[in-house]
Amino acid sequence: MKAKRRVVTNSGGSTTAHRSSTLRRQRTSNALTSMGCKDSAVDMTTPRRGDATGRETVATADVDLSVDLGRGLVLPNPIMVASGTFGYGVEYGDVVDVDRLGGICCKGTTLRSRIGNPTPRVAETPGGMLNSIGLQNPGVDAVIAKYASTWEGWRVPVIVNVAGESVADYVEVVKRLDGIPGVAGIELNISCPNVGRGGLQFAIDADAAAGVTAAVRRATDLPLLVKLSPNVADIRPIARAIADAGADALTAINTLSGIAVGGSRQKPLLGNIYGGLSGPAIKPVALRIVYEVCQVVAIPVIAIGGITDIDDVLDFLAVGAVAVQVGTAIFADPTLPVRLVAELEGACRSGGFASYVPFVGTALPKRPSSPSSKGVEYRP
Amino acid sequence: MHLLGTELLEAREILPGQWLQTYHAPELATGSRAGQFVHVRTGDLSGLVLRRPFSIHTLDAATGTITIHFRTVGRGTEWFTHLRPGDNVDMLGPLGRPFEVDPRSQHLLLIAGGLGMAGVRALADEAIRAGRQVTLLFGAASARDVYPTSLLPDEVEYVVATDDGSMGHHGFVTDLLPRYEAWADQAFACGPEPMLQALARLAATRRSRMGVAKLGRKRGAGKGHAVGSPLARRKAFLQVSMEQRMGCAIGACLGCVVMATSGVPQRVCREGPVFASEEIDWEGAWGR
Ligand SMILES: Cc1cc2nc3c(=O)[nH]c(=O)nc-3n(C[C@H](O)[C@H](O)[C@H](O)COP(=O)(O)O)c2cc1C
Ligand code: FES
Repeated sequence: MKAKRRVVTNSGGSTTAHRSSTLRRQRTSNALTSMGCKDSAVDMTTPRRGDATGRETVATADVDLSVDLGRGLVLPNPIMVASGTFGYGVEYGDVVDVDRLGGICCKGTTLRSRIGNPTPRVAETPGGMLNSIGLQNPGVDAVIAKYASTWEGWRVPVIVNVAGESVADYVEVVKRLDGIPGVAGIELNISCPNVGRGGLQFAIDADAAAGVTAAVRRATDLPLLVKLSPNVADIRPIARAIADAGADALTAINTLSGIAVGGSRQKPLLGNIYGGLSGPAIKPVALRIVYEVCQVVAIPVIAIGGITDIDDVLDFLAVGAVAVQVGTAIFADPTLPVRLVAELEGACRSGGFASYVPFVGTALPKRPSSPSSKGVEYRP
Repeated sequence: MHLLGTELLEAREILPGQWLQTYHAPELATGSRAGQFVHVRTGDLSGLVLRRPFSIHTLDAATGTITIHFRTVGRGTEWFTHLRPGDNVDMLGPLGRPFEVDPRSQHLLLIAGGLGMAGVRALADEAIRAGRQVTLLFGAASARDVYPTSLLPDEVEYVVATDDGSMGHHGFVTDLLPRYEAWADQAFACGPEPMLQALARLAATRRSRMGVAKLGRKRGAGKGHAVGSPLARRKAFLQVSMEQRMGCAIGACLGCVVMATSGVPQRVCREGPVFASEEIDWEGAWGR
């Protein structure tokens, strides 16, 4: 069964002014409700003809950037930081006010500690970088002991990114996180080799992806985000299977598989040979995947991939994302995510909007578009 | 550590392909110590997504300036050579942990290979200001790569080795260590990893070879302190400044690790870049 389209579009040829006034009148419900899966979300932005007198500037206090991802997870704004690029939230403390972020996804966390991959682990590439950290982390118990009480004191929700090599691993990590104050949600990194299936990634197979999602869903009531891998031929059946298995939201995308060659050209550069490509270079791929996924699932989609400025954010919103994560760009510009919050608020204000809902889904097609797997150059 | 807007005051090509740039950065000039580094943003027009880490080569609190010293090895460093005095550059720093000199150490041996000079250079100034004696052993491929004497304080004894024998000792800089290790109270090194590895091996056998324990250090001194702790460094005979490719330079991405004898990879940007030589696993195959 194909899910209902979950947006908030320009249908009816309305003007932005129409929508803005509708929004302002309807600000009784504060947070954007889990968009698209609830009719109210659609109502919120359905234009009423003839009720607008013109564009007015919305006062600062009137812009509400919060977003409800379901199961009680309400982000104060839709600008999050991506797993692996912001540590456990504490490292950037000297230069970033973390409480102004919409959410923090911490470094991938596993059941037992991992020393990660041999070096070199990072390499700059045109418009991006490769990384092969190999999930170095001290293990879930140490992560809880070290950081949970700090997270509890923050306003910003911290979502623990969870990785594993078997369904049982994922379930055990999530059980240990369940009920820990300071843990606001789970993001499953399913781009990991599944030892039980000969090392094939969970993320590339709809059944495996749905299996681990369902098992984790049974193990916790925490808000559950599942992170999609772009390294697949057709993302849509996988996204649908994960949504049907009980995920509260999808995040997309993880890194693209790639390699670099070392200086002497005698071997690949990275110690692990393969690395994950991130940064501006992957933005078109991420846009395409978010565009495809948003047409087939009813749960919220959080976009990740190459975001470096407010236009990138608005592009991802336009293809249906309700929130975004900033990753690699933080390395060059640690204050970028906080600035994007202000800039998104500014964009709402200058559009005369009380929230950013009017930006969401505007570039989605009226009818489901043909998938990229049907061929790009030569359309049927 | 801060995010700072700095201004380029002067840029000079001190050797073929090697640059020395002076930046106005009062917070760094007063708030940094020898061994620390800055992570510098390149112009993003070129599609370079990562900052570049540079050792703080010298710092001058009186004028509020720091210098960095680098070789043009790629598009990023190339970009820096096109900067003009007056241009603004975004720096994150000071980052990492500094060299720690034992208060009792009077004779400091500094050992630099090539661009490793950038890593130990500030320590020479710091030590001389504190009234210590400094010998600096420097190794390069040939005379044309030798760091100019004119850029060093007069008080430093400067000893050069070149691979091709075109200046000073004909051979590796590590060949010179045995001549100075009895004199030295502590040694501080920065350079290519094989050089550091050779020095670490010499340092590890130093006590048995020389039959003395300097400064009353006991066997196994330097162990028993947490990796990266100032005390572990202060008690070590040899401190090394490590290099690794970096992402964040702030401890968040785990891109920059080196394997430690503890079995847990340590972040060069956070626990380092200066480590006690005993803290590093020099013999393992991991990452080599
Ligand atoms: C150094 C580094 C480490 C990462 N570690 C993780 C991780 O542990 N778990 C995960 O799900 N994604 C990880 N990612 C992927 C990012 O969260 C993100 O999906 C990806 O980098 C794309 O976004 P960007 O282009 O904005 O960086 C990592 C990325 C980088 C660059
Ligand atoms: S460079 Fe990111 S942890 Fe050191």
